[in-house]
Amino acid sequence: MAVLYDAIVIGGGHNGLVTAAYLARAGKKVVVLEKRPRVGGAAVTEEIFPGFKFTMFSYVVSLLRPEIIRDLDLPRHGLHILPLESTVTPMENGDYLAAWGDHDETRRELYRHSPRDAEAYDEYGRLMHHMAHAVRPILGMVPPDPTSFDPRDLLALLRLGRHFRSLGAERLHALVKLMTMSSADFLDEWFETDVLKATKSASGIIGTFLGPRSPGTAYVLLHHYMGELDGVFRAWGFAKGGTGAVSEAIASAARGFGAEIRCDAPVARVLVKGGRATGVALENGDEVSAKVVVSGLDPRRTFLQLLEERELPAEFVSDIRRFKFRGSSGKVNLALDALPSFTCMPGVGRHHRGAISISPSLAYVERAYDDAKYGEFSRRPYMDIVFPSMIDPGMAPPGKHVMSVFVQYAPYHLNGGWNDAKREAFGDAVVNTIESFAPGLKSHILHRQVITPADIERITGLSEGNIFQGELALHQLFFLRPAAGWAKFRTPVRAYYQCGAGTHPGGGIMGASGRLAALAILGDGA
Amino acid sequence: MNAAGRWDAIVIGADVNGLVAAHYLARAGRRVLVVDSRKAAEQRADVGWVPPQVIRELSLASHGIQIEQPDPWIVAPLAGGGRLELWRDVAKSAQSIRRISPADGARWPEFCTRMRRLAGVLEALYVQPAPDIESREIGELLRLGALGLHVRRLGKQTVIDLLRILPMSIAELLDDWFENDTLKGVLGAAGVWHLRQGPRAGGTAFNFLHHHVGSPAGVFRPPRSSITQILTAMPGVEMRWGAEGAVVAAAGTATGVRSGSEALSAPLVVSSADPRTTFEPLRPQLDAEFVHAVGNIKSRSIVARGTVNLERPADFKTLCLAPSLDHLERAHDDAKYGRTSERPYVEAVATDGHLDLHVQYAVTIDQALVERVASALGVPAGQVRLEPQAGHLYHGELTLDQILFMRPVPGWSRYRTPIHGLYLCGPGTHPGGGIAGAAGRNAARVILRESKRS
Repeated sequence: MAVLYDAIVIGGGHNGLVTAAYLARAGKKVVVLEKRPRVGGAAVTEEIFPGFKFTMFSYVVSLLRPEIIRDLDLPRHGLHILPLESTVTPMENGDYLAAWGDHDETRRELYRHSPRDAEAYDEYGRLMHHMAHAVRPILGMVPPDPTSFDPRDLLALLRLGRHFRSLGAERLHALVKLMTMSSADFLDEWFETDVLKATKSASGIIGTFLGPRSPGTAYVLLHHYMGELDGVFRAWGFAKGGTGAVSEAIASAARGFGAEIRCDAPVARVLVKGGRATGVALENGDEVSAKVVVSGLDPRRTFLQLLEERELPAEFVSDIRRFKFRGSSGKVNLALDALPSFTCMPGVGRHHRGAISISPSLAYVERAYDDAKYGEFSRRPYMDIVFPSMIDPGMAPPGKHVMSVFVQYAPYHLNGGWNDAKREAFGDAVVNTIESFAPGLKSHILHRQVITPADIERITGLSEGNIFQGELALHQLFFLRPAAGWAKFRTPVRAYYQCGAGTHPGGGIMGASGRLAALAILGDGA
Repeated sequence: MNAAGRWDAIVIGADVNGLVAAHYLARAGRRVLVVDSRKAAEQRADVGWVPPQVIRELSLASHGIQIEQPDPWIVAPLAGGGRLELWRDVAKSAQSIRRISPADGARWPEFCTRMRRLAGVLEALYVQPAPDIESREIGELLRLGALGLHVRRLGKQTVIDLLRILPMSIAELLDDWFENDTLKGVLGAAGVWHLRQGPRAGGTAFNFLHHHVGSPAGVFRPPRSSITQILTAMPGVEMRWGAEGAVVAAAGTATGVRSGSEALSAPLVVSSADPRTTFEPLRPQLDAEFVHAVGNIKSRSIVARGTVNLERPADFKTLCLAPSLDHLERAHDDAKYGRTSERPYVEAVATDGHLDLHVQYAVTIDQALVERVASALGVPAGQVRLEPQAGHLYHGELTLDQILFMRPVPGWSRYRTPIHGLYLCGPGTHPGGGIAGAAGRNAARVILRESKRS
């Protein structure tokens, strides 16, 4: 054990990299250990077929915290986010619903479907904007422990209470509704156009094992408005070079601050002496020691795989055991020789530069969930499609295209388990469904890559293939993420910290967990 | 108060909460008239906890109130023949569960203790108006503080359980604890009672605890009582059956009720009717926001009630036909798309000579449903009678967005309404249906306190 580091970060996913960058920026000697040949975790761009690059798992960026972009000066390290300006939902009757970058145009489009909804749209937008404002401070705070009698916790809880009360009655009630209702019920209070409600609520189910009628899905509706609020980019964005470029930019920033990043360096376990983490043992037998060890892996691997169970309190172990993952989404990456033409908008148009949402009706999305509930992949899944090569031509050879299809639901716990035949059947269901909205797609497919939750787990290590490192359900958020009493990035093992999306606030390419963890570590005087 | 009028207060609805409110007002010296559109009192038992405060303060014990919780409190057929019986005695139930799953039997006592503690927190919350989290009044803040302290004193585990379990789905909660389908079906059914949701929906764990309120540890069906019958017969208030009651108000102040062509006047009107029905005649006097909020109350009827005439006595007291969580979920799937369940969840309570039925999820009540229920129970269809649905029994589903300070509509959880002199006291208000008399008592206390002030 030659070099003593101040901190070891296990896992070079975007949160791990953010933690490393912040620690290095504070003058700490940091090393990141990544098992794969490249950093990024689930945010990687790879050339899967010659000339065709794909962001293999994740696909859009919307929530990357602006303070991180600023603090780490990410644009200087190559981060360039291109706006994804529209969402078009093809309908089963050949019509469509479109939301464009231009607000007035969207309103006119909505008017075509329902004058009443076009009226409500502005007011809805205003409310969501205020709600996003109300929630924003929470994303940037370390959750207080409601069970503790520590004056700091009590004070933080009091302050939180004051914050909510300061919102005023109307917004407070709306917030309670957003936190507890299903997105379908919440939208029912505002709109009547089914396809509008379906498309909006589809964003509420991404990464969850819930349907649009399941309570607890409404608050995700806020996410769209968060990105807008921060003024970094409008709504959803697409990183030039794919989401892998986001990881690369953060890694480059970390290196710039002096952090060391080692790929092909899988960690086997965390070394603990006398209840204190002292370093890690790599799979090749090497040991690396450090004052502090930080895990960017999900809670299951952070605690049940990297540690011996006896090093943790029994109650905590059972809390982590029942932490829910249940990956529910898959990804289909297609290499195309031409863009598909959609029945509702024939030919090639600006809609190819935005997202295509396969969510023609609430019942459609809900049925997709029903299949998954009973252990099958959706026969007609909800899909969010983008054509990265339309926004960033470097992603495909000239004249050719890449099509990224985020698919839900593909349950990790499939009846009979996933195998090659099931994976292909799932891929066929996806392609056949899109074909029904865009006849001729199949004839343009040069290559097809199908990724199931089992594949996500195998390749990235994410337990049960959950892209958020654990379900974003109310009982797994804030001071309950990942377990009550351990939501402050510390763990029952001294000098061992967690910084992945399995901690508050978790999920999405946000980096907030990584940043808060780094601040907690620095605050502890590491 | 209007000394010239015959009544100081008119209560709309002679159901349990209306009667409780009426008797609390009468006890405080008010002359009270209760109007009810039904021809006469029903002879149906009340399902739900009767708070001990109500029993004590209205001397219901001396009037002979009966509260019944059968033993075993539930019987469920087992897939391989035989049946699961759960008893008031936790150890006896554990033994009976051990026969189908040793692991589940071993966990039963701990589960019962933990759930009982949470139900206790709800009980404390239910016998007072919902905490007003917007209030800046020092008294209310102290009450909030006291409530917080009360919960924290129950220990760290209870605080965590409360925060974690209330928003959960009953399926997740039960999957954390148990493995046996029959057991989870019996318990899960209580989580979806009167909800248009399946056991995998968040908030159904709360609904489960709501219906555990008032029961001893290990009993997960609410008690049945004769409280409405007792109150109907109790002197002190004037009763008028077969009399509709529509609130009449002038310039934002209630002046009485209209009953058919007759105008009954009183300076105070208390309605235990559905909030939507109550406010319907008042729409022109209400602001649009409020009307919109009332219109948004989710109260989708989903339960069919009915009876089965028995030729010979049943060999059970309460029979639950919900063989698994998946069974409940699939029954709900049908309802989600607007259809009545192909295989509904049926629960039958034996009373003298017949069975009282709870059938869920029922969207339309027709002969097909009667036949499904009959075949589930193994009785001839001719013996099954289902009542037409008359609105949501709880006047609003008990989902997380419709409880506490959000019930009946956000900002109006204190039984008061925008119409001066009009109060609500029905199950549409805090703490909601399935609790016999708490809303009526809370409302009456608010009314008496406020009238003292003015």
